[in-house]
Amino acid sequence: MRILICIDDTDNLESRGTGALASQMAEELEENGWGKSSFITRHQLFVHPDIPYTSHNSSMCFAADIDDIYLESIIGYASDFLVRESAVGSDPGLCVVTLDRLESPDLLIAFGRKAKESVLTMEEAYDLAEHLGIHLSDHGGTGQGIIGALAGIGLRLSGNDGRLKGAIKIKALNGMTSVDDICALPEVDEVRSLCGAEVKGPDVVKLGEKPKTVLLDGKSVFLVVPAEGAADGVHWQSCPRQLLKKY
Amino acid sequence: MWQINAYGEKEFLGGSEDWGGAVLAAAQCHLFRPDVEEEMVADEVISCYNCRYRRWTAASFTCSMHERTSGC
Repeated sequence: MRILICIDDTDNLESRGTGALASQMAEELEENGWGKSSFITRHQLFVHPDIPYTSHNSSMCFAADIDDIYLESIIGYASDFLVRESAVGSDPGLCVVTLDRLESPDLLIAFGRKAKESVLTMEEAYDLAEHLGIHLSDHGGTGQGIIGALAGIGLRLSGNDGRLKGAIKIKALNGMTSVDDICALPEVDEVRSLCGAEVKGPDVVKLGEKPKTVLLDGKSVFLVVPAEGAADGVHWQSCPRQLLKKY
Repeated sequence: MWQINAYGEKEFLGGSEDWGGAVLAAAQCHLFRPDVEEEMVADEVISCYNCRYRRWTAASFTCSMHERTSGC
């Protein structure tokens, strides 16, 4: 069965980031033989003076295909992991959802979207988790991270929120590659222009520094923009990071 | 380039889309430290927008080092 795991508020200014902890969890889930993990997505939440966050208020989510018998082991492992690895002064939260048992994903998606534009409470998060019968737990500090953990699951479920953790590694000649070569990468499901049109074929793409993908329609999408000031024959360039900020 | 906001924090006056200004500010700062990859939003690595010590606000960001030191 497929599960989603999301964590939030695990860091402080000097510690490893929440993304690094999510990566370690995803790797150890596989090392323990519990299942196969997928890519990690970063989800931006509301930035407001009433919300305590370290520097950016984002949560990290990944999916895993597991055998049913390992679900409780994974939740136990993730809980212990957060207690052990979260930074001093952080307020870590954990959410684990079993997708084929989730009856009202729309409620979870709505919660995620709401968490991007308003201040939500721990009580609201726990109430929704209890109503939906999903695992939500706090593991230190105030436990405020449960709000972002639950919201991150909803946003991942929406299929249209967030950037994927990690830069895409592409073999390129003089910083150039082709759309076809990008599409062939296992980390990339599709190449699209910023206006939303799918791009295919041998068109040449100029690569920027550490290009990344975003989550659109549930896919890992590599965004490109028309090449500017490039040599003849160069059609596209990878989307600048500053344009990916809104995802 | 900076102001002290109502909370006593050092806030960047350029907002969240002054990409050139954030590069200039970082170039003048000896406390710049790159954030983790997933939190970097500027193409120029050395930019306050990519700094571990920036804390995003609704309109801009504040510099967390201002609270710890005399600032950058």
